[in-house]
Amino acid sequence: MIYTDPRIGDYAVATHGLSKRYGRESALHEVDLRVPEGAVYVLVGVNGAGKSTLFKVLMNLERPDAGTAEVFGLDTGRDGPGVRAQVGYVPERQDAPYRSMTCARLLQHAAAFYPEWDHAYADHLTRALGVRPQARIGGLSKGQTRRLQLVLALAYRPPLLLLDEPTDGLDPVVRRRALTLLAEHLADAPTTVVISTHHIDELESLADHVGVLRDGHLVAQMAREELQRTVRSYQLEVPDGWEAPRELQATGLRRSSAGRDVRCTVVGDEREVTRRLADAGARVRQVSKLALEDAALAFLPEDPS
Amino acid sequence: MTAPAFRTAERRARPARPPVPRLRAVLMEQIRAAGLALRGTALIVAALVALVTLVAGLQSLSMGVVRNFYEWPTLLPGLMGVLLPVAMWARDERSGQGYLWTLPVDRRQHAFTKVFAGWVWLMAGIALFALWRPVLTLASGGSVLPPETLHVLASQVALAGPLDQTTLRTVPWAPGPLIWFVPFTAATASYLLGSALVLGSRRPLRWVIGTVLAYAILSVASDAAGAQLRVGWVADAPGGLLHLLVESRYGLDALLTARTGTLSTTMTLTTGERAMVWRAVPDLADWRIATVLWTGVGLLALWAAASRHREQRRA
Repeated sequence: MIYTDPRIGDYAVATHGLSKRYGRESALHEVDLRVPEGAVYVLVGVNGAGKSTLFKVLMNLERPDAGTAEVFGLDTGRDGPGVRAQVGYVPERQDAPYRSMTCARLLQHAAAFYPEWDHAYADHLTRALGVRPQARIGGLSKGQTRRLQLVLALAYRPPLLLLDEPTDGLDPVVRRRALTLLAEHLADAPTTVVISTHHIDELESLADHVGVLRDGHLVAQMAREELQRTVRSYQLEVPDGWEAPRELQATGLRRSSAGRDVRCTVVGDEREVTRRLADAGARVRQVSKLALEDAALAFLPEDPS
Repeated sequence: MTAPAFRTAERRARPARPPVPRLRAVLMEQIRAAGLALRGTALIVAALVALVTLVAGLQSLSMGVVRNFYEWPTLLPGLMGVLLPVAMWARDERSGQGYLWTLPVDRRQHAFTKVFAGWVWLMAGIALFALWRPVLTLASGGSVLPPETLHVLASQVALAGPLDQTTLRTVPWAPGPLIWFVPFTAATASYLLGSALVLGSRRPLRWVIGTVLAYAILSVASDAAGAQLRVGWVADAPGGLLHLLVESRYGLDALLTARTGTLSTTMTLTTGERAMVWRAVPDLADWRIATVLWTGVGLLALWAAASRHREQRRA
C-alpha cells in the first residue's frame, strides 16, 4: 500500500483496521482511512471496491466485522445518532423516501431532525438545483431524486459530507451546477467532504486528498500534491525486447508502447524510478506530471475483470 | 467540466458539533408525517363508512329496521389496527439503508416513535368509529346503553334449524361503560401485532400467506395421520390450536369483541321470528385478561421487530 499519514490537525474521519465481509466476499479489508478536518477527500475505486460499504459503516448502517470507525472523535458503533447528526449523506442508491410526500414537505420533515437546519439555504439550494417543491417524490426521475438528496444533505450545513456518487444520474448542466454549489458550500462553511466518484476530473479543483480502494483494500491514501508528485508518466526509449524491472511492475506500472518508444506510469520517487529504469537499460526521455484522475487510476487494475 | 476553486484555509476551522434532535420534535414530526401518509387510507375508510351509513339509514327509513348495539361490525377496529401498519410502512424502505435510519435518531427508538405516531391516528379513527356506532344505533331507534336483554341458550344444544323458544332464557346484561373501551384496546393490540409483523419482516404478506398455507397443510396432514393412527387428538390438533387462539376464553375474539362475536348468532325461532341467540353471557373479565395478554404479546413482538433495526453497536 502507498500510504502517507496526512498529519494535519485532527481527523474528521478515522478508521482502524475496518473489515467487512458479505458471505465469502470481502467488502473492506483492514481499512485505515484518515480524512483530515477540512479536507476534500476523493475516494476512488471501481464498482464493488467497497466505497459504498465504507460510507454505510461510517453512518452506522452496517456493522463492521472488525475494526472501528470514528467521525470527529465519535465512535460510529457507539454513537450512531450523534455521528449522523454531523453528516450530510448522499447514498449511492437513488430510492426516494416517502413517495407520497411533496419535495417541500420532505424538506420540512427533514428539518425537524436537524435543529440547525437553514431554511433560507434550503430554499436557495432547491431553486439552484431546480427541485420543484410541489412535485410528488414518487414521480421524480433518478436525476431529480439526486438533486433532492443533495439539498437534504447540504441544507443544515453539516461539518462532514459523505457523498456517494453525488453526480450520478445528473445531466451535464445540473452536474456542473451541483459542483459549483458544492464549491460555494465549502467556501462558506467549514466542511470536510468524503466523496466517491467515477468522474474524478470534475473534482480537479476541489480535491486535496485521495484514497484508492481496490477489492476492499485501501491501496493508496495521500494528499493530492503527494499523489501527483509520486505518480509520474515516464517517456522511455528502450532496446528491443525490453522488460520493465520487476520491482517497478509491483508499484502499479502502466505501460503503452510504440516500437522502441515506451510510455509508462510509475508510482515512486522520481529520482529512484529514473535510476532503476536506467539500470534496466531504458533511457528516460521525459517525465511529466499527471492529472489527478490519471494519477489515481494508476493504482487500479487496467483490466477490470 | 470542473468546479471553481475555493479557499481551503477557512474550511479547516472546527465547526460546532450539531446536536441530535429532541425526542419531542421527532415525535411531533412523525405524527404529522404519519397523518400525511394515512390520508389516502383515511379517505377510503371514510367512503366505506359513508356507504354503510347510507345503507343502514335507508334500511331504517324504508323497512323500519331497528339496530342493536351488538349487531354492528365489532371486528372492524381490530381489522383497522392490523392493516394500518401496512399503510404506514408500505412505502418506506424498512431495510437497513432506508431514509428513516439515516436520520440522527436512535434507530430502535425511531421505530417506536413512528409506531406511536401511527397509533395516535388509529386512536383518533377509533374514537370517530366509537361515536359513529351509537349515533347510527340511536338514529335507527335501537338501544345503545345496557342493560340489554340477551336470549341465552338454557343448555348446550346444537345451533341448527329453527330454535324452540323454551330452550332460551332471557338474561339482563349490563356490561357497564368498560364495553366502550373494547374498540380501542382491540385496535391497539392488533396494531402492535401488525406493526411487529411489518417492521420485523421484509415481506409480511408472504409470512401471512405462508402461515395460512402451513396451517392448511398441517390440517390435512394431521387429519390423514389421525385417521391412519386412529388417534383423535392428532386429527383435532390444528383445529384445537385455532380454537385456542381465536375462540377460547382469552382468545382473539375475547380481545377484539369481548366475545360478543363468537358467543352470539342470529337464529330463526320456531315461531318464525329471528333473534340474536347467545351461548353464554360475555364476561368483561375475560376481555380484560385477554387484552393484557395480547397487548403484552404485541409489545414483546414489537420490541423484537424494532430490535432488528437497532443501532449496530459493537459488543
